[in-house]
Amino acid sequence: MTGTRKGYFSRLAASAAEVMDSPVRRAKALRYLLIHIVVITAAGVCVYPLLRILSISLRPGDRLFSTDLSLIPDGATLAAYASLLKDTMFLRWLWNSLIITLATSFIGVSLASTAAYAFSRFRFPGKKAGLILLLSSQMIPAGMLILPLFLMIMKLKLMNTYLGMIIAYSVSSLPFSIWILKGYYDTIPRSLEEAALVDGTSQVGAFWRIILPLSTPALSIAFLFNFTTAWNEYLVARVVLFSSKQYTWTLGLFELQGQYITQWGMFAAGSMLVTIPVLAVFLYSSKWLISGLTLGSVKG
Amino acid sequence: MELLRSVYEVAGFILLIALGVAALEGYFYYHFKFHDRPWFFWAGLAVFPLLAWSGFVAGGIAKPGLFAWLLALEAAVLAFFRYAVKGRHSLAYLLLLPAFVGLALLLVYPFLFEVYLSFHDLKLTTIMMWKNTGKIPFVGLEQYVKVFTTSPLSEVTFWALLGRTLLWTFSNVFFHVLGGFALALLLNNAISLKGVYRTLLVIPWAMPQVVAVLAMRGEFHSQNGFVNIVLGRIAEAYPFLAGLGVGPVQWLSDYPLLTCTIINVWLGIPFMMVVILGGLQSISTSYYDAADIDGASYFQKLRYITLPLVKPVLMPAVTLGTVWTFNNINVIYLVTGQAGGTEQADILVSALYKAAFTYNRYSYSAAFAIVVFALLFFISVTYLHGFDAAKDER
Amino acid sequence: MATVKFSNIVKNFKDNQVLKRVDLEIKDHEFVVIVGPSGCGKTTLLRMLAGLEEISSGEIHIDGTLVNHLHPSRRQIAMVFQDYALYPHMTVEENMSFSLRIKNAPKKEIKERVAEAASILQLGKLLKRMPKQLSGGQRQRVAIGRAIVRQPKVFLFDEPLSNLDAKLREEMRVEIAKLYQRLGATIIYVTHDQVEAMTLAGRIVIMNQGVIQQVGTPIEVYRKPDNLFVAGFIGSPTMNFIEGKLRVEKGHVRFVSPSLSLDLPASLLPAEGAHEGREAVIGVRPDDVYAGREAGKNCSQQVDAVLEVSELLGHRENLYLKVGNLRVLATVEAFFDRSPGSSVPVCFNFENMHVFDKASQKRISA
Repeated sequence: MTGTRKGYFSRLAASAAEVMDSPVRRAKALRYLLIHIVVITAAGVCVYPLLRILSISLRPGDRLFSTDLSLIPDGATLAAYASLLKDTMFLRWLWNSLIITLATSFIGVSLASTAAYAFSRFRFPGKKAGLILLLSSQMIPAGMLILPLFLMIMKLKLMNTYLGMIIAYSVSSLPFSIWILKGYYDTIPRSLEEAALVDGTSQVGAFWRIILPLSTPALSIAFLFNFTTAWNEYLVARVVLFSSKQYTWTLGLFELQGQYITQWGMFAAGSMLVTIPVLAVFLYSSKWLISGLTLGSVKG
Repeated sequence: MELLRSVYEVAGFILLIALGVAALEGYFYYHFKFHDRPWFFWAGLAVFPLLAWSGFVAGGIAKPGLFAWLLALEAAVLAFFRYAVKGRHSLAYLLLLPAFVGLALLLVYPFLFEVYLSFHDLKLTTIMMWKNTGKIPFVGLEQYVKVFTTSPLSEVTFWALLGRTLLWTFSNVFFHVLGGFALALLLNNAISLKGVYRTLLVIPWAMPQVVAVLAMRGEFHSQNGFVNIVLGRIAEAYPFLAGLGVGPVQWLSDYPLLTCTIINVWLGIPFMMVVILGGLQSISTSYYDAADIDGASYFQKLRYITLPLVKPVLMPAVTLGTVWTFNNINVIYLVTGQAGGTEQADILVSALYKAAFTYNRYSYSAAFAIVVFALLFFISVTYLHGFDAAKDER
Repeated sequence: MATVKFSNIVKNFKDNQVLKRVDLEIKDHEFVVIVGPSGCGKTTLLRMLAGLEEISSGEIHIDGTLVNHLHPSRRQIAMVFQDYALYPHMTVEENMSFSLRIKNAPKKEIKERVAEAASILQLGKLLKRMPKQLSGGQRQRVAIGRAIVRQPKVFLFDEPLSNLDAKLREEMRVEIAKLYQRLGATIIYVTHDQVEAMTLAGRIVIMNQGVIQQVGTPIEVYRKPDNLFVAGFIGSPTMNFIEGKLRVEKGHVRFVSPSLSLDLPASLLPAEGAHEGREAVIGVRPDDVYAGREAGKNCSQQVDAVLEVSELLGHRENLYLKVGNLRVLATVEAFFDRSPGSSVPVCFNFENMHVFDKASQKRISA
């Protein structure tokens, strides 16, 4: 039905002729053209910085500070990537980040899933207070809790360890996760649990067997949110970790960037290596993410 | 090998947490389930000391005073569950327990600790004393007074910071909503490649914030940044424009707040766009059809149909966005601050972070933080009240 | 005056031809119902008239004026949508006055027109309410009220009753009929429910797969369906169809099928015409199938059938009969005196019978 390439162009020409025919269609086509132009410009502005990082990462070492704006520089090379992977502990940093982030996400989502269920299905004294607590926790200025956490971790002698980081991170996304999950649970009809109760499970059993499996989209969103928040975090890590070996990738990348010499090439290469997978995951799950966000906010 | 060891470590830790949660749940389960049995009190008071004592032995602590305290506490807890709670809502509380214990330990306790700190004087000179003796001087409301009268960093005052923060917040949110709305309206048409465009437009939000901010910051670099290179080339090619003042600008040193704002707007538009687009797509086309027949122009449709129907989705997003922007420390800090940087771009939260970690004025910073929190809380409450009242009126 | 004329209308959606050449003229003050199954193109046709869909080719004239490129608001039409499309954030009054308000009409005029529409539809007490506080029937009336306020030349209704329950539908049908009498406007009404069509229409337009099957008054399409589709679509319960072949014998036509053979009277189908060997379909409505005692009177060609199931409908009864391998439905007086499984004599009313040519699907009988 779609036909050959030649067929495509002749059909394109035919529809263009059709469009030119009527003033209504002409106006509409013009409008769409303008929309395309504006949107493409905006998209360009959004993507350009990323492309620039790519081009910086590909520059040969001797021209790191050039004012050349071309996207693929002359003599493009992967040397920066190679030296990043060989000469620095980049892989180690990635590993650190991965462990911490996975553990944090897992803990965060587990805790949130049960709490959200309680908020969704039960009425109990303190429910309203609990929700207000969750909401107001969003208003706590960043950095306010870093100090006490820092002091706590110092006292527990967990500075510079994975466990210290996990402790610091695990609760940070909890309010938001609970909110999202609660919103999702609210949309699942209670008749499902009632049917399960009639079939013989307990309330908890109904939660485990029925609600949880049905909530995989929301759980994935919560997991994703926990993951990205922990993965991209910088300020807390800077305070808790102080030896190069234990750095997360955010700190590691900063090492490359600060001090006296900025190793732009490696910095750019590292940025690309971290950004690509994050973008990929994000874009893959973007449909869920968006519906999850609007779900929560509309109900709220 | 070391890698595997770290995995073990973390897995072990998670297991530990799971056990801790299970123990906690078990403890509360006992109190909920058996509160009406005759042996409730006695069993509780018998088992608990055993557990506590073994805990003490394991931890190497031997404080009889503490032990007596804990016993009294347990008795109180038993009474509470017997007479007050009576086993109601047990399941709900059991479900909430792990999350809220976590929040209590890692959110409420630190918060209260900050409050405690704010009434004392913990700074560089007193921290050693605290480490050794666990005591710091009590100073009452002195820190709070200092918040309003002295500078958190070296020059800028609280009021200047407040003003700047408000300016920062409003201008950012304004452009976020404007840009996001415009893009959402554009994307809401039946154009081809819509999915591709949406994907591309979302990139600033999807990228790790650290990378995105540092990348954009790099573009504002006075020599190697994209903006100045282009400006420079324009000034070369069109000298009359150069005469008007168009040319490379020292962004980071001369206009740090403006630079941060531009970067943050670039970062924040995609989120608004996505939320608004979702709202737009949920508006049924029948309304527009009916309005077409009624003769409404494009702007009339926008004003009478689109805006009111998008509001329920827009308002929470704007609220969240405002709070996040007000508290956005990342952008300011990353753009201006690592090496001590300038103070001209600081907003409230970045100043408080720097006061704590660059200047080591911990107590001062705690008081500062409490003030900022109170401010934000107060504003949100009045805003929500106003919003609710408006809703009820209708 | 408010006439509507569709000429040579074709509508393509990408590669799909949804309307394949429609020609239709609607006179002033007519109530025309366009009816057909889902996907037949009726709503598309209506929306093209309203200006909400583009016309691929062809012309639409309202009162002699070509409206193809006119904006919907300039065509002097008003439309009642299937989902009512009431602006949820405006009161009933604001909904009804919206079109006037955005044109900055004088407040006095707005008030008058809204009051008039409200009194016709008994909405007076509901003017300050919001749509979500209204029942389905009330919302529907508001949607109609909104259309009345515009004082259009043509009213367009797009399946307005399909979201209502059966009882409400009946009530609203009467309301709409009364409204038509009162306003005397030109109304074009689209529905998939043939009962609505039959009860409301001055003329019915039956469509299927983008083509008009027949145009006529309800009686005409009921008594004289032009083709198999119309015959099967109009009338409830559905007409019985029997497939077979025609033979010309001894000066008359004989219908032959494996289970049933009938001699057709000349008044139904004269022997002239090329009928020999033609594949045909006999159509006869359940009301025109006589069974039991009724079949005995004046019946020249009795046939034996077996009663499978009977359904009591009040004072009529549906009998599901089997003639050989053929299923036939007869509707008779209630309390039929035979039981299931028994043999029943059956007779057909040749006056109301139809013969269709199988290949062309068209009616060939008189």
